[in-house]
Amino acid sequence: MITRKTSLAAAVLTAAALALTACGGGSTPAAADLSKVTIMAPYLEAQPPSSDGAVHQKLEELTGKDVEISWVPNASYGDKQNITMASDDIPQLMVFTTKSSAFIKNAEAGAFWDLTDKLEKYPNLTTNTPEVQANSSINGKVYGVFRARAAMRAAVMFRQDWLDKLGLQAPKTTEDLYKVAKAFTEQDPDGNGQQDTYGITIPKWGGLGTNSPYDIIEEWYGAGNRWTEKDGKLVPSFETDEFLEANAFVKKMIDEGLVNPDFATFDGTKWNEPFLNGKGGIIIDVDSRVSQIVNLFKQTNPADFENKVGFVGNLEGPDGELHAHPTDGYGGFIAVSKSQVRTEAELDQILEFLNEMNSDEVAVLLNNGIEGVNFTVEDGAAKAITPETPEGKTINADVKSYAQLGINVRGNNFYLPKQASEYEQQVYDKRLEVTANDLKSAVYNPAAPYVSETYVSKGAQLDNIVSDARIQYLAGQIDEQGLKDAIKLWNTSGGDKVKEEINKLWQENK
Amino acid sequence: MAAPVIETKAGERVAPVAPAPRKRRGLAVHLAHYKWLYLLLLPGVLYFAVFRYAPMYGVVIAFKDYVPFLGINESPWVGFQHFQDFFANPDFGRLLGNTLILAFLNLGIAFPLTIVLALLLNEVRLSILKRTVQTLVYIPHFLSWTIVASLSFLLFALDIGPMFHFINGLLGTDIDFLSDPAWFRPLIILQEIWKNTGWGTIIFLAALAGVDQDQYEAAIIDGAGRFRRVWHITLPGIRSTIIVMLILAIGQMLNTGFEQIYLMTNALNRGVADVFDTYVYFVGITQGAYSYSTAVGLFKSLVGIVLIFGTNWVAKRFNQSGLF
Repeated sequence: MITRKTSLAAAVLTAAALALTACGGGSTPAAADLSKVTIMAPYLEAQPPSSDGAVHQKLEELTGKDVEISWVPNASYGDKQNITMASDDIPQLMVFTTKSSAFIKNAEAGAFWDLTDKLEKYPNLTTNTPEVQANSSINGKVYGVFRARAAMRAAVMFRQDWLDKLGLQAPKTTEDLYKVAKAFTEQDPDGNGQQDTYGITIPKWGGLGTNSPYDIIEEWYGAGNRWTEKDGKLVPSFETDEFLEANAFVKKMIDEGLVNPDFATFDGTKWNEPFLNGKGGIIIDVDSRVSQIVNLFKQTNPADFENKVGFVGNLEGPDGELHAHPTDGYGGFIAVSKSQVRTEAELDQILEFLNEMNSDEVAVLLNNGIEGVNFTVEDGAAKAITPETPEGKTINADVKSYAQLGINVRGNNFYLPKQASEYEQQVYDKRLEVTANDLKSAVYNPAAPYVSETYVSKGAQLDNIVSDARIQYLAGQIDEQGLKDAIKLWNTSGGDKVKEEINKLWQENK
Repeated sequence: MAAPVIETKAGERVAPVAPAPRKRRGLAVHLAHYKWLYLLLLPGVLYFAVFRYAPMYGVVIAFKDYVPFLGINESPWVGFQHFQDFFANPDFGRLLGNTLILAFLNLGIAFPLTIVLALLLNEVRLSILKRTVQTLVYIPHFLSWTIVASLSFLLFALDIGPMFHFINGLLGTDIDFLSDPAWFRPLIILQEIWKNTGWGTIIFLAALAGVDQDQYEAAIIDGAGRFRRVWHITLPGIRSTIIVMLILAIGQMLNTGFEQIYLMTNALNRGVADVFDTYVYFVGITQGAYSYSTAVGLFKSLVGIVLIFGTNWVAKRFNQSGLF
């Protein structure tokens, strides 16, 4: 039985509690303590490195700072980042893996330092690839020290043993790719007398401009990289005829059974399995997967693992030209928080620290480890010390995470890994050669540096319209007209404005 | 004097309470008089105040253009802008449709099944069998949705799933259950039934235990069979429980279960799979559009409140005891 007065009492109590908690938000954090540097970074291993580890100790010693890193699993890094930015507990330095909407909004509201004119004062932060720095910027404003990453990574890997058995040549063009995929499907490449293989394995990977196999094939066809110039204007690559042609090509392969039928749902973490088990013979992905697969073959059968995997770089399109698919050349950036680093003087100290982080000595520490403990230098490459000592093992595990803090804007100032065997070294050297060659024909995203306001607020929903339609088209749920309708819907739902804004920025900065 | 028993409309028996204090008496006197009862109430009130009501302050960001760096107070007001954007968005109709369809399927199929299972269990006379079955049907409730989704993937996967072969073999079809939009809802409802039906019976079984046994005896003497007894005695006996559970279920109706749907979604079935919860996650958490997604979430809550009051009102109209 609740009378009016008692319910009033409850309401007052509630209101009081509400007022109390509401007051909590306004407190100001204490002045920044810069003897300690706090960093938030993602890790991709099963375990984050411990701050007692040798790498961490050495890092603090080399930089002369107390370094506190909060490691966040990569899978939930985006979520955690958004939540952290909404809290009072922001680290001084934050690794951003992409130029996300959340980052752009916060940066434009003044959450991070504008470093455009500042970086050149620091020798180790002055880049030798200014175009990549521009890609990482927000309309020319640099809000973070970008993490340089290989720009050319696309590769086609295939079962070399199957290719040899069927007497085929490594593909050079998209047409060759079709022929090889067809032969792998229909000509019993594993020789078991049954038609139980298929050509290309594609996992669940839909998003636009995420370097998916679809994106790569579209670029080979000449659709451009996210945006492309057409009649003096920038248009999204899906508004080109080449986009439709490329997808018609993929659809043809899917319809003929040359691609795994569950391409829309196949779990990407199992991507290597059909290749290893002899079910699907081709993967279109980054070239580092080649070494990964070679290594997996080696683990299963150390006596016979050579010549199982063949690979080529980008393929020529039907127009006879090579449009190679590059990344934007950076894997996100490290931004400096304004609420933790208050003054120019403090910023100077933090940038000094970052400058130190990209010194040759620290770069080797972050990417290779500690010389003499987990690796030695041989022919200018880092050779792992085998068998691993317990200490070396920890370091080997730790550097995989610390590499996330690698900046490398002056090029790779650490040692490339020396491969374990002659054959693996050959594969590795060939990878470097192929990618370096493809880089000359790279077609970059002309709109990479530009950020459209409309795109920030609803770009992901917009792009979903097209990327879902693309998969639906490939699966046969909708026809080409349906795909075109989806592209029209993209335009009418706000894409028109995105195009307008991007073109305006592009014209202004041309 | 023996305490008189008051029969409420719902047929529950409750002890009479002391007469209400006169309105004139002050709050202080009232509080002092019932101090122990209020003390008992305090932890509950505090819990709701701190963890349920206080965070509601954050709802104001639905009317602001919230930027984390600026904080809730400093972010600029935008009024109903986000709501307008949402209602004008082509996604809106689809989200509302998907959410409601799933909600009604859940309510129309999963909810009655719970009662049916409870009735079936109630009719089992062999105690050991009854208990064993009860325990077995509770188990799925304790598995996380991740496990349920993984199991579904194993069972229904293209070419390798046993259910894929079984059903397609029966129907002579070639359906990819995991990506076919037509099969998305059946799969979701099946999972829901598998996971939660058993657990849902608990409260009905408790209510069934309270049904007057004398009436069964009388009915048996009158020659009523099992179904007659269920229809005329058991069901009316637990009617009030059913209605309360129904109102609660309707209040929860739009909470379509984020994890379950998120895990089962892919590019091919997104058209029917997107619901408010997944949309809020996708737009709010992964893209950082906090204000917009809060507006969407607030709208969802509003629909939930309308539904719960509506059902309560309807229940009272039909002379049943409502929830409040």
